[in-house]
Amino acid sequence: MSSTTRLVTQQTIRRAARRTERQSAHDEVTRLLPPWILAIVLIVLGLIAAMPLLYIGLASLNSDLGVARGEFWPSTFTLDNYVNVWTSVGLASGIANSLIVAGSVAVLSSVIAIGTAYVLVRFPFRGRLAALRSLVGFQSIPGTLLLLPIFVLFASIGSVIGVQIIGTLWGLILTYLTFALPFSTWIMVTYLRGLPISLEEAARIDGASHFGVLWRIILPLSWPGLIVSTFFAFLLGWNDVMFASVMTTPDTRTVAVALQIFGAAQEGGGVPLYGQMMASSLICAVPVVLLFLIFQRHLVSGLTSGSVK
Amino acid sequence: MSDAPDRNESTGTMTMTKVPTVNLDTAADVPTGVGEQHRSRRRRRDRPMWMLAPGALLIGVVIVVPLLIGVYLSLLDLDQYTLRDWLSAPFIGLQNYIEAVTSTNLLGAVWVSVSYSVLATTLTIPLGVAAAIATQNAFRGRTAMRSLFLIPYIIPTFVVGTVFRTVLQPEGVLNSALGMEGTLWLNGPNSYWALIFVQVWSAWPFVYLLTLAGLQSVDHEVHEASALDGAGWWRKLTHVIFPYLRGPLALAVVIATLHHLNNFTLPFVLFGVPAPSAVEVLPILTYVTGFQSLRFGLSAAMAIFSLILVLIPLLVYLRAVRLDSGTDKGEQR
Repeated sequence: MSSTTRLVTQQTIRRAARRTERQSAHDEVTRLLPPWILAIVLIVLGLIAAMPLLYIGLASLNSDLGVARGEFWPSTFTLDNYVNVWTSVGLASGIANSLIVAGSVAVLSSVIAIGTAYVLVRFPFRGRLAALRSLVGFQSIPGTLLLLPIFVLFASIGSVIGVQIIGTLWGLILTYLTFALPFSTWIMVTYLRGLPISLEEAARIDGASHFGVLWRIILPLSWPGLIVSTFFAFLLGWNDVMFASVMTTPDTRTVAVALQIFGAAQEGGGVPLYGQMMASSLICAVPVVLLFLIFQRHLVSGLTSGSVK
Repeated sequence: MSDAPDRNESTGTMTMTKVPTVNLDTAADVPTGVGEQHRSRRRRRDRPMWMLAPGALLIGVVIVVPLLIGVYLSLLDLDQYTLRDWLSAPFIGLQNYIEAVTSTNLLGAVWVSVSYSVLATTLTIPLGVAAAIATQNAFRGRTAMRSLFLIPYIIPTFVVGTVFRTVLQPEGVLNSALGMEGTLWLNGPNSYWALIFVQVWSAWPFVYLLTLAGLQSVDHEVHEASALDGAGWWRKLTHVIFPYLRGPLALAVVIATLHHLNNFTLPFVLFGVPAPSAVEVLPILTYVTGFQSLRFGLSAAMAIFSLILVLIPLLVYLRAVRLDSGTDKGEQR
């Protein structure tokens, strides 16, 4: 054990030494800002980013009256808000619905996207370029343009086949799944392009079917791309308010709509339940932020290609 | 270990960020060498085109068909009574469009949408560029700083709206910090600035990310050359570094403007409906006209206007994507 420790220590020291050496040479030349300006910029931007985050945490531990009076630092700390939100906001059922919807969308869209991307990347066919272009175009269609027609279409199909679609979770899943597909497919297209074709060809020669190639060769190799597509598809389902506000009933409400309705209901009469609004906000944001931080290095690529918001 | 990721790590991240803007169409198989004809013929015979079916079906049913229905609905006199049987609702041609322009706040909403989107995007640029430049060189705690900078962007918009609804209330923490108790931010003319403020807070990390990617494209030789020339930091920034950022920033401006134009959630959660007229953006007006006033045909016509509005930055974006891949042979067609 001691030898292992020593080895690790030596490695660490050597690595650190190499790093400082290389860095000091590199830094001299590439430095962009004098240290004092750097410090000011970092402090100002750090405060801009961090203050509202800190405030969410503090206000969620404050009393409603304290938040209403504009306290930043609570005069009394309480955990009551975290107890009450489960009944007043309907957070539990909202989170359950959101997890079902966003989770299904995340998994299904990635599964469909990898198959679609495989064909788009590896097989030439007429209209492929148009299909690739439309992947970019479909991402930018305003939601308001589709909201009413989808509502009308689902209601009509529902009444024709005698099955309720509006107000069900799977109606919502179907909608988000489709909205997530162009982006998920786009991510997988850019990812699969980077994979060498030789493995697939070898597998084909060995007699594997196309599906076999996809399942046994491509899927295991493309998990970094799958992380990106899964995460952002999940985010789409978790974040949407517009479609969920029209296409859910109180039973199938997602947490985004539950929180929006709770916030809007605080207008008029008495002190609004600010503490609970902040506690539920925190509960809704923390899982997403944690997941992002864990997979940050992969997910940044998804952000720069223009996903979310 | 958490501090000062070495150079390899940072370039590793940045290569990732550049991935999505690469070629739109790299030819799938460029058959070369012996047996090329045989192989390409075999390929064509058994392409697994069925794998396209699920996606195509979904996009057809949930995007393409609704788009067509949307156009049709905009030509109907559709309210809560005729909606049930919309196929036989009275056809009124372009009257919804005429009514939208002449007797609703449509033009006002278009103006608010455009000016707010452009202004918010413009304000995010200095913040994003400053953050990228400040985190370009390694220092203790840089990894944590980079993560912190991204969090405002990754927090769900409905959470951002809910939080700032509390922060911006008349007796809220912002006003008490500024000593401006009682100032209205969520009603009246100030609401416009409140919307821009919150949008900028949650959107600037996007500019930051794209700028970081741009900074990575500055060659080491360029740094060396400007060091040899003895350029001061400001001259180096403005004359050497900024030109490298033009492309990434142009892309950031187009995408961010698109996002802001389409943003329904933030004004909806921040102000509720009906929104104060200063922040009645087009998505909100369309939603309210449809699902609150129940003038569905009129709302459908307004939605077509929002498509036209979005089409302008979108076409610029599509052009940019194509230009990026101009080196690709399959693309020249």
